[in-house]
Amino acid sequence: MPSGALAGVKVIDLTHHIAGPYATKLLADFGADVLKIERPAGDPGRRLPPFHNDEPHHEKSLPFLYLNTNKRSITLNLKTDAGRGILMDLLADADALVENFAPRVMPSLGLDYATLRAHNPGLVVASVSNFGRSGPWRDYRATEIVEYALGGLMYIFGAYDREPLKHALHQAQFKAGTNLASALLLALYHQRLTGQGQQVEVSIQESIASALRDVTNNYTYTGAVRRRQPNHTGDLTRVRAVSDGYVLPNPGLGASVDWQVLVDFLEAPELDDPRFDNPSARLENAEALGDILDQIFAAKQKQEIFYAAHQKRFIYGVIDSPEETIDNPQIQARGYYVPLHHPQLGEITFPGAPFLLSDSPWQLNAAAPALGEHTAEVLGQLGYDAAGLGQLRASEVI
Amino acid sequence: MAGPLQGIRIVEMGQLIAIPSAMKWLGDMGAQVIRLESVQRLESYRTDSLYHNEVDGDFWNRGANFYEQNRNKLGLTLDLSRDEGRAVLRDLIAIADVFAENFTPRVVRNFGLEYDSLRQIRPDIIMVSSTGYGFDGPWANFGATGPATEGAAGLAYMTGYPDGGPVMSEIPYTDYTAGEHTVAAVMLALLHRLNTGRGQFIDVSQTQTCSATVPEALLDWTVNGRIQPRQGNSNPAMSPHGCYPCAGDDRWIAIAVDSDQAWQGLCRVMGRSDWAADRRYADVISRLSHRDELDRMLAFETRQRDNHELMAALQSSGIAAGAVMDSKDLLFNEHLRSRGFYEVIEHHPDTGMPPLPYASRPWKLHGTPAVAPQPAPLMGQHNRDILAGLLGRTDGEIETLTAANIIGFAPLTPRGVRRPSLDEQVRQGRMQRYETDYAAQIRREYGIGE
Repeated sequence: MPSGALAGVKVIDLTHHIAGPYATKLLADFGADVLKIERPAGDPGRRLPPFHNDEPHHEKSLPFLYLNTNKRSITLNLKTDAGRGILMDLLADADALVENFAPRVMPSLGLDYATLRAHNPGLVVASVSNFGRSGPWRDYRATEIVEYALGGLMYIFGAYDREPLKHALHQAQFKAGTNLASALLLALYHQRLTGQGQQVEVSIQESIASALRDVTNNYTYTGAVRRRQPNHTGDLTRVRAVSDGYVLPNPGLGASVDWQVLVDFLEAPELDDPRFDNPSARLENAEALGDILDQIFAAKQKQEIFYAAHQKRFIYGVIDSPEETIDNPQIQARGYYVPLHHPQLGEITFPGAPFLLSDSPWQLNAAAPALGEHTAEVLGQLGYDAAGLGQLRASEVI
Repeated sequence: MAGPLQGIRIVEMGQLIAIPSAMKWLGDMGAQVIRLESVQRLESYRTDSLYHNEVDGDFWNRGANFYEQNRNKLGLTLDLSRDEGRAVLRDLIAIADVFAENFTPRVVRNFGLEYDSLRQIRPDIIMVSSTGYGFDGPWANFGATGPATEGAAGLAYMTGYPDGGPVMSEIPYTDYTAGEHTVAAVMLALLHRLNTGRGQFIDVSQTQTCSATVPEALLDWTVNGRIQPRQGNSNPAMSPHGCYPCAGDDRWIAIAVDSDQAWQGLCRVMGRSDWAADRRYADVISRLSHRDELDRMLAFETRQRDNHELMAALQSSGIAAGAVMDSKDLLFNEHLRSRGFYEVIEHHPDTGMPPLPYASRPWKLHGTPAVAPQPAPLMGQHNRDILAGLLGRTDGEIETLTAANIIGFAPLTPRGVRRPSLDEQVRQGRMQRYETDYAAQIRREYGIGE
């Protein structure tokens, strides 16, 4: 079996919930040895719905099972001296420590960066938090919807005349987790060249605000403030309902649309009209155009129009449900979804490699660990025998 | 020491966002990025969203999107449809660490730029191809946009108001999802090369990167056979939870009440002790069963309040709340400003553009910070530096390439997009408003001289 890109990289993982665990999943799935350190009650991510067969249980959260593949788990109470002592032993030969506590927590545990660096100068300490480790909002509270609001994506998201929206699920957390993996790998590259570790941080708010295309530039370039777009703008590339679902038409970019080609393709002679045949006219008659397009598309079928469009190299898109995307012939042909055997729950089909590395591939080798599954094994390597473990358990360190 | 990637050279054949945004961030961290374009094919990011909405003169050097995605890069024009252009690219590949592109596989093959060809030139090259649906498979050559892959990946289907169809963000959101994963992918490959001396081919499917971030919905189907309904802004475990109107035109606040304690705090801040005492709202289960009623009551109260003042009051009571920030709120935000998130970049004097703030990046590497930002290149700005300085081409050779339009400094068929006037854009609803003294406001806030 070829080895992952991060074979031999040792990561101590204090993360919980989604953002941090997604970062360390990316590392673990590419070969890093990720040791997940959970509080004795377990990562709160173990309570994330949905659950396997809808049974709420800390070993059955589907997001948790996805986010923690290829990791090992030990429990450790970092509020005890003995717990912190064990953590420091584990950090002595580690490459990276990853955490997503609120910024005040690590220093309050005596785990500030200066202390960690003195202990292991090569250690990369990687943190992700809602608003970063500095600034007047450092200790503000946030959830997913608050990050969408304060990151600037929400204001431009949704219907013109309704309340702004957020994406479904936990996009802000995943986005920040991806960025945390990148930041950590950049620092790890420097460490491999120089032996020097460092502190790196990702802000969830800034993860969103970094990815807004020209929204702030609209203001700095012209003084205009972008908002959510009205439904009928003359824009040809909005989501349209078809008889069996939704498509995203895209006949070409902006000014370069050849109107007659579009009229022919849609078999819609009613569009062969000077009110619509150039961009300025389309803006002028946007509402009438939108109504006609809605009617035309309502009679089409999703797959049929998608493939017909691509024959002409129009970049149409489909909007697929979870069921449809899993059955999509392209995604099937790529072997994206991967079955994995879980010792208690049986086979589960997971989303697979986000990207393919030809010489150091993504691999799913081990299911997410049970809470504390590797405590005895890992502490055994640190020299704790059965009696020592019993003592730690009795004093609620593990 | 600035940037951990000093000494890494990247050749980028990118367009729009997916590859350019990723290579921009690697450039921020010290890599030398050589951005290819051509005078034959003008990228749409050079033709739209222009400074002052002016299409005269060298408008292609004043496009907001081009500046946004291409800082800290060197610009080289090259016509790859001809042998002479491809010969220059081969010489660049020979001294590059990474070749990054986001065209369809058909284009890559037509130009003879597959990984197997590149490794003949540079055995340890890392090549990254970023496509909508993946480099192989029946859809490999289907062009895609961010919204198309947001649809294919399952994310768009889940998103929207509970009483309506799928809704997408107004930006090509998944282009960034792919770009963010591409940074990680390239770093993994660079680390692997450090260990083994070997390069490799990276195949980024934008659809796959997006699906990797919606496991809750995908696993609910594969395991439980359930498709979750669109939920708008509501949350199955919190109430109140949503986006509520505030005083002013199109002003809003997001509030997430994630505990009974937060609920009591909310009632206190809103001055509604009657809500706090009402047993129908005492715990999360009862609040969830009165969700619509609570949302209406809360909206009635928030409507009287300024969204930033209300956020501050709620946050000081420990409640997760955020003003829904528009672009001006972001640029003038005290928190982002104190962290130096927006960086002022000076433009080339030929553009006539003043220094302007740009979003930087989502991370800070405290030991190896980003390099000082340089603006995106003018078209062909570094042709000579690269051809003479890096590749040792003579003046005569460069002149020959110029005469044949293999390289150049201006598009052969310039066509800029003039947007409607700002008054018209506001009337159409594309823009919420515009300000006429914005330039002075930005100068004051960012300490930029006249």
